[in-house]
Amino acid sequence: MTPHARARMPAELFGGWEVAILIFMGLVYMAGVLINPAFFGSTDALSALLRDTARVGVMAVGMTFVIVNKELDLSVGSILGLVATVFSILYAPSHVNASIGIAVAGALATGLLVGLINGTLVTRLLVPAFIATLTMLFVGRGFVLGLTGGKTIGYDIKAKSDPWFFAIGETNALGFNNQILIFIAVAIIGAIMLGKTRVGYETYAVGGNEQAAGYAGLATRWIRMRAYLLSALCATIAGLMNVAQDKGITSQYGQGAELIVIAAVIVGGASIAGGRGRVIGACLGAALVVLIDKVLREGYPITRIVDVAGIKMEVQAFAQLPGGAVQACLGFLLLAAVLIEPWAIKGGGAARLMARLRKQPVPPKPSAEAAIVGVQTRGAKHDAHGMGAKGLRAFLARRDAAAIMLCVALWLTGFVLRPDFWGSLDNSFNLLLAFTEIALVAVGLTFVIANGDIDLSVGSVLALSGAVAAFLMKEAGADPLTAIGFAMLAGLVCGIVNGALTVRFGLPAFVATLGMFYIARGLGAWLVAGRQLSGFPERFNLIGRNLYEVLTAWGVKIEPGAFMAFAKAINVQTIFLAVVALIAGIALAKTTWGARVYAVGGNERAARYAGIDTKAVRFWSLVFSALCAAAAGVIYVAFFRSFNPSAGALRELDGIAAVIIGGGSIFGGFGTIIGSIAGAAAITLIRSLLSLQIILPDGSSFVMPQHWMNVFIGLILIGAVIGDIWIRQQQIFSRWFETRKAPTGATS
Amino acid sequence: MTTPIIKMQGIQKYFGAVHALRNVNFHLMPGEILGLVGDNSAGKSTLMKVMTGAYQRDGGDVFVDGGLTHFKSPQESRDYGIEMIYQDFALCGNLDIGQNIFLGRWPKKYGVFIDRKRMYREANDVLKRLKVDVNSVFQKVESLSGGRQQSVAIARAISFNPRVVIFDEPTANLSVMATERLLETMAELKRQNVAQVIISHRLTDIFEVGDRVMVLKRGENVGDRYIKHTSEKDILELIVSGTPETALTADEALARAA
Repeated sequence: MTPHARARMPAELFGGWEVAILIFMGLVYMAGVLINPAFFGSTDALSALLRDTARVGVMAVGMTFVIVNKELDLSVGSILGLVATVFSILYAPSHVNASIGIAVAGALATGLLVGLINGTLVTRLLVPAFIATLTMLFVGRGFVLGLTGGKTIGYDIKAKSDPWFFAIGETNALGFNNQILIFIAVAIIGAIMLGKTRVGYETYAVGGNEQAAGYAGLATRWIRMRAYLLSALCATIAGLMNVAQDKGITSQYGQGAELIVIAAVIVGGASIAGGRGRVIGACLGAALVVLIDKVLREGYPITRIVDVAGIKMEVQAFAQLPGGAVQACLGFLLLAAVLIEPWAIKGGGAARLMARLRKQPVPPKPSAEAAIVGVQTRGAKHDAHGMGAKGLRAFLARRDAAAIMLCVALWLTGFVLRPDFWGSLDNSFNLLLAFTEIALVAVGLTFVIANGDIDLSVGSVLALSGAVAAFLMKEAGADPLTAIGFAMLAGLVCGIVNGALTVRFGLPAFVATLGMFYIARGLGAWLVAGRQLSGFPERFNLIGRNLYEVLTAWGVKIEPGAFMAFAKAINVQTIFLAVVALIAGIALAKTTWGARVYAVGGNERAARYAGIDTKAVRFWSLVFSALCAAAAGVIYVAFFRSFNPSAGALRELDGIAAVIIGGGSIFGGFGTIIGSIAGAAAITLIRSLLSLQIILPDGSSFVMPQHWMNVFIGLILIGAVIGDIWIRQQQIFSRWFETRKAPTGATS
Repeated sequence: MTTPIIKMQGIQKYFGAVHALRNVNFHLMPGEILGLVGDNSAGKSTLMKVMTGAYQRDGGDVFVDGGLTHFKSPQESRDYGIEMIYQDFALCGNLDIGQNIFLGRWPKKYGVFIDRKRMYREANDVLKRLKVDVNSVFQKVESLSGGRQQSVAIARAISFNPRVVIFDEPTANLSVMATERLLETMAELKRQNVAQVIISHRLTDIFEVGDRVMVLKRGENVGDRYIKHTSEKDILELIVSGTPETALTADEALARAA
C-alpha cells in the first residue's frame, strides 16, 4: 500500500476485500432473483435479509476481536441460546415471572460469565481455544436443554407490558426492523474500537506476535480475555434481540450459529492465523453468508406434472434443499473461505489479479510459502520421576496410570451404588457394547492427537458412514457387503479430505476437521432426508450380535457349556475392536511408524530435518481416524438395527476426552492405545453411572435427567485437558511438594 | 595441497528481489575448524543452507571432494557426510535420548519393529565416543538442560559418522560451563578428523578452537584469515568495514604479512 493510499483510508477500517465482497454479494443476490423472483424480487426479502444479518453481524463483530487475536470462539451459538433461555425463564409468567430489568440483567450476567469462563480457560489455564470453546458449546447446549427440558417457552401477553424492550424486535415506522439499528450501532462501535483505538491496536499486536506484544509491555492475557468478553457480550446482545423478536424460545436457539459467524468473519477477510481482520469486512461477510444461507434455503418454484387417474395436472411446488444440505454447504463455505484467504491476501493473489486486470506491473509473489501452521518446537513438559522406579512407583509414573485407576474407582462406585445390578452379566455386557463405539473412535484419535493434530469430525463421520450403509441397504437395496464397503469408502474420503486440507493446504487440523464436522453431518442427514431408517437384512445386523447368534446363523451347532457362555457374552463388535486395538497398539508402541508419530507430535520440524515424511505421517493418521469412525458408524447401525441422523453426536468429545484421560496431550507427542482404551472405559462408566437409577434409603429411586448429560461430558473433557496441562505437564503437585519440603524454598 | 572436502564457487542466491548471496566463494579442508562470521543478514546461514541443500542455489557450483553436487535436500547431503546442528537443536522433547539420537532411522527388527536393545546400546556408544555424560539414554530430552540437549544434538550428528559438522550459533543459548564443554567436544571431534563450521557472533569462542575465520558482509566475501595470524580486532574491522574489493584469502593475507 502506498503512503498516499494509506493516508486516505485507515487500513484497519476498509479495503479492497470489502469491495470484492460487495460485488460478490450483488452477484449472489442476482442469482437469488433469477432462481426465486417471487421472494428475492420483493423488498420483503431485503428487509428479512437485513434483519437476519443483524444478529449474525452483531456476533461477527465480537468474533472478529477473537479471531484477530489468533483464537476462536465456538461457543457463541450456545451463548445466544443460553442467554435467551435465562431471559425467558426469568421473564416468563410460567416460570420466575421477574421484571424485565432483572431478566435483562440476568441474561447479561450469564453471557458475560460464559465469556469469563472461556477467557479464563484459554488465558489462565492454557487450554487451547478450540477445545475450551467447543466444550462450552456443548455445555451451553446442555444447559439450554436441561433448563428448558426441551420445551418451548412463550410470553406473548406479558411482552405487551414492556413495549420498550420488545420494540427491539419490531419493525419501526420507517419500514425496517429495529434490530438493524442495533446492528449498525454495534458495527460502528466495533469498527472504531478495532480500527482507531488502542484496544484495536493491542488486539492486532497480540494476534500478530503474542510474545513480542508481551515483551512490549502489553497485558496480553487481559487483551485475549477482553476479546472473549466482547464476543460473549455480542452474543448476549444477539440473544436479547432474538427473544425481543420472537417473544419466546425453543431449545434450538442459536444452534449452529458459530459456524455462520466464524464463516462470516473469515469470508470478511480475517485470517485464521491471527493478526488480520476488519469489523466492516466481518459485517459484510455476515450479510454474504446469511444471503447464501437464504438462497440455499428458499429453494425455487417448479411445476410438476402429476398424473392423476389419466388426467395430467400441473402442480406448483418448491424445490428445496433439505436441511442437512444447507449445513453441508455452509461447512464447505467455511473451508473455502479459510483456504482462499491465505492465497488472496497473505499470498498477494488478489493484488496480482487486480494488477493484471489494470495492466499494471504485477507485484512479485512472496517467496516464502504462506504457511498457516507455525513452527512448533514445544513438546510437553515431562517428568523424569519414573526413572529407575520399580513396582507401584513405576506404574504411577506412567501417563496412563490415572485412567486405569479411574476405571477401577468408577466401577467400584457403581458397585457401591447398585450392588444388586452393577456387577451382573447383563450390565457388564451392556457396558462393553457402549464401550466399543467410544473406544473405536478413541483408538483412531490417539494417532491424530499423538501427532499434535485433532479430529473434531469423528462423530459426524460416524453418522455419515452409518447413513451411507443405511441408505444403500434400505433405499438402494444393496447387499450388506456393498453397503459396508461404501460406508467405509465414505469414511476414507472424509479422512483423505481432512488429511489433504491439513497437510497439503496447511490448515490447522481443528479448522479442517471443524469444516468436516458440519459437512459430514449435513451430508448424512441429507442422505437419509432426516428420517430414522430401520429394517436391514439380518445378515448385516449380525455385526452387532454376539458370537453365539452369529455362529448359529452360520449353521454351527454349539454345545452348551463354557464355550456357549463365552460366545453369548462376546460380541462381534467387541472382537473387532480388540483386533483393531491390538494392531494399532503394536503399531504405535513397537514399530517405526509409531515412533514417527510421536516424533512428529513432539517436534515436527525436528522430525522433518531427520528425514521423516511428516506430511505422510499426519495424513495417514487422519485417514485412520476417519476409518475408525466409519467402522464405528457401521457397527452403530448393525447394533441398533436402525439409523438415526443424530448418531455419533458428542462422540468427538467422548473420544478426545478418552485419549486425554488416557495420557494423551492436547499439544501432541503423547498417548498410548492402552491409555485411550482405559480412558474410553472411564467415559463409558461415567456415562453409565450418570444414567444409573439410584435407590435411596427410603425406597424411592432417583435418575439424573438425561438432558444434563452434555454438561457432564463437557465438564469431564475440560477437566481432563486441564488436568493434563497442569498436573502432567506443569507438575503443579510435585512443585508444590518441593516448595513445601524445601526449608528455605521461595514460596510466593 | 590436499583437496578441500567442500568447495563452493561463485554462489548466487536470491529471495525475491533480495540478492542474499553474491558470488560467494568458500572452502573447507578436512579436519579444519572454520569460523563463519558477519553481521546479521550477512548470509552466513543462507550459505550453509545452500551447502546442505536446504536452499537451492541460483548460481555457482558446490564441490564435495572435488565432485560437483546438486543436493535437493539436507537428507542428500547427509549421505555425503555433511551434518548441520540447528540453533534450537531440532529434537523431540517427548522422546528419550536414545530415540532422539536415532530420530527417523530407528534400527529395525523383522522389518517393522524397533530394535530397542540395539538402539540404546549404540546410543550409549555414541555418547561415550563424544565423552559427554548423561545419566541415562532413557531420559526424556525435555528434562535435560540446554547444554545437555545440545550434547544430544551433537551425538545425533556424530552417529552418522559425518566428515563435516555445521554448528548454527552453537553457544547462543548456553551457559559458560556448557560453552566450555562444547568447545572441548569440538576439539575432540577435530582429533577424529571431522571438519567443522561454526556460525557465530562470539569471536572469543572461534578464536579458542578455530583454525580459520571467514567474514561475510551483505552476501559477499570480505576476507578470510588464519586464526594464528590474526586478531579479534582485525576480524571486527573486517566485519564492520571490509569490502569485497579489499578481500584477501587466508593464504594471500599470510603471504602479505610475511
